[in-house]
Amino acid sequence: MDLTILQLIVNGLLLGGMYALISIGLTLIFGVLEIINFAHGEFLMLSMYGSYWLFQLYGVDPYLSLLIILPAFFFIGLLVQRTTIQPILEAPPLNQIFMTVGLSMVLQNLALFIWTADYRTVKTSYSALTLKTAGLMISFPRLVAFLLAMGMISALLLFLKKTYMGKSIRALAQERKAAMLMGINVYRTYQIAFGIGIACVGAAGALLIPVYFVFPSVGSLFVLIAFVVVVLGGYNSLTGSLVGGLIIGVVEAFSGFYISPHLKEAIYFVIFILILLFRPMGLFGRA
Amino acid sequence: MRKKILGFMVAAILIMGMFSVSSAADYRIGALFPFTGTLALLGNETFNGAVIAQDMVNEKGGIGGRKVSWVKADGVDPKKAITECERLIAVEKVKVVFGTYSSSLSYAASEVAERNKIIYWEQGGIADNITARGFKYLFRTIPRAGDFGVMAANFVNEVVAPTLKIDPKKIKVGIMFEDSLYGTSVGNAAAKRAKELGLDVVATESYSAKTVDLSSIVMIFKAKKPDVIIATSYMEDSILFWRQAKDMDLNVKVFIGTGAGHGMPEWAKTFGKEGNYIFNVDPPIGINPKVFKAETATLLNDFRERFNKKFGHYPAVHATAGFVGAQVLLETIGKAGSDDPEAIRKAALTIDIPEGGTIFGFGVKFAPPDHPAAGQNLRAHPVLMQWLDQKLSVVYPKAFAVAEPLMPLPTWEQRAKGQTSFIK
Repeated sequence: MDLTILQLIVNGLLLGGMYALISIGLTLIFGVLEIINFAHGEFLMLSMYGSYWLFQLYGVDPYLSLLIILPAFFFIGLLVQRTTIQPILEAPPLNQIFMTVGLSMVLQNLALFIWTADYRTVKTSYSALTLKTAGLMISFPRLVAFLLAMGMISALLLFLKKTYMGKSIRALAQERKAAMLMGINVYRTYQIAFGIGIACVGAAGALLIPVYFVFPSVGSLFVLIAFVVVVLGGYNSLTGSLVGGLIIGVVEAFSGFYISPHLKEAIYFVIFILILLFRPMGLFGRA
Repeated sequence: MRKKILGFMVAAILIMGMFSVSSAADYRIGALFPFTGTLALLGNETFNGAVIAQDMVNEKGGIGGRKVSWVKADGVDPKKAITECERLIAVEKVKVVFGTYSSSLSYAASEVAERNKIIYWEQGGIADNITARGFKYLFRTIPRAGDFGVMAANFVNEVVAPTLKIDPKKIKVGIMFEDSLYGTSVGNAAAKRAKELGLDVVATESYSAKTVDLSSIVMIFKAKKPDVIIATSYMEDSILFWRQAKDMDLNVKVFIGTGAGHGMPEWAKTFGKEGNYIFNVDPPIGINPKVFKAETATLLNDFRERFNKKFGHYPAVHATAGFVGAQVLLETIGKAGSDDPEAIRKAALTIDIPEGGTIFGFGVKFAPPDHPAAGQNLRAHPVLMQWLDQKLSVVYPKAFAVAEPLMPLPTWEQRAKGQTSFIK
């Protein structure tokens, strides 16, 4: 195969892995709690700041900071769910939207207030490291992000398949009333699911910071794509989010090169609309 | 009792009215800036530059014995800029509106001034379209966005091609720009000028500044192999592109940014040595003092010291733009001998300040009403700088330069080893 095409596939997959990791938390939260978390991008921003400051103040490597970020964001998720999401679970959808949009604005402005609008970057020894194999160029931190993302998504899938808590989460996603009748602690399960969703996006932030930079509204750059990926994958399918993320990444790489960088967003939205027309429940969704 | 209070208030209003009439001996000029809101920081900074110009004139007894005062109006967004401009004209009865720092505010408000045949004096908004409407009462002292692109293309033709010993007709140029109004006007102007000069433009690519991946542009440039890249980017996309260029080992001989991202301190902070040797086009700050006429050099010094004394820091580009705009405006009013818009308009068209006559280094000559850029200062131009030791130094045009331009850029491999191979 042509080297350019191979390179484009590599670029697309690396990018798509990142999209998948950001989207997977959103899918989990939507699939289980049926809440659209508009503040998802802001949690990404917070975790990027988290690992930025861990690096700046204590010299913690961003990848190592995952050990702190993951549990921390899990608990932040629990807390946020308990205080802001739980009370509105039974509220009309419009109110739920207002709540998460409001949360997003509060977090964004809080970050602006505390950390100002400056762009902040982390400089690690591997930030600009590139692996060269057979003429292909693979950015090391992007590769690590991709592999860790795949690892975490597999672990999450395994967790949902094998453990009692995982099974309760899936049960709730399928049929809430029946799950309640079977004696599943609905509210605790909701909290855990939300916590896991936020921990996922927290991990994404720590993996992004070596290649990207953080400022208060950085989340808005990623979150729109995350929504596209979620719908493309089929709203509540984690495998769908993974495949959806990779598809968007590869489509972006190819259309940017062969058509125009200017139109790449337009092109994945066209694909998005086409899929919705022919498969309204997304690629992996069940009605 | 109530009647008494009412009477008192009416009297107070009348007295206040008399005062404003008695102070009408002053030249009252509308100052329309975003004084609050998200644009407030640089809006105020720009206006502070104008305040120094006012101080200098008033200390010498004003213009023909009449002092200058500003009537402040707060235009936070285009809508507010329009209503505030209307208020300045209808209620405050000003004959001249001075503004506005932001192009979109200027574009909206100047429409109102033109309709009312009131002078609109723009010192900071750089969008090309502001002076592309054939307005008769609009004047602008600062260079247009397009001039930034033109400057970059001229530099390639005049300096890069001869230095690299490539025939200008054969030098391959890649152009990239973010697709909002700013990037489009600069990028298209660069492309147009490059084609006029006969340079070989191999790629013209635009992209959304909100993208999180620019690898496709890097890949396109790797395929088309330009010698020179001219880029117009905001902060996040400029950083993203340079990082991905390194990831994929994209090497060019010359890289020219045109303001915004490539000129900000964050560039040096993020890249350190890896950001060195790229060029950037920006308004003329830190130019070679030899350009200045003797009195301009004194003026620049005086301005900087006064500004520092009054506001606690030395002025940067925005405050300087505010000062230059106000200074030329006040000179024009002096020439006109009144603030009648018709008289100012005629006086403005006779203004002829040679190069070295303003503290930006460039001169002033406004385009007449039948010119496609009516009201634009045709002598205004930016300068080209280069990142050396994480600082920007002016390298072009020659008269303005404080350093020699260094090229070609070291390849990423050379950078890793700390090598360079500049052509003397």
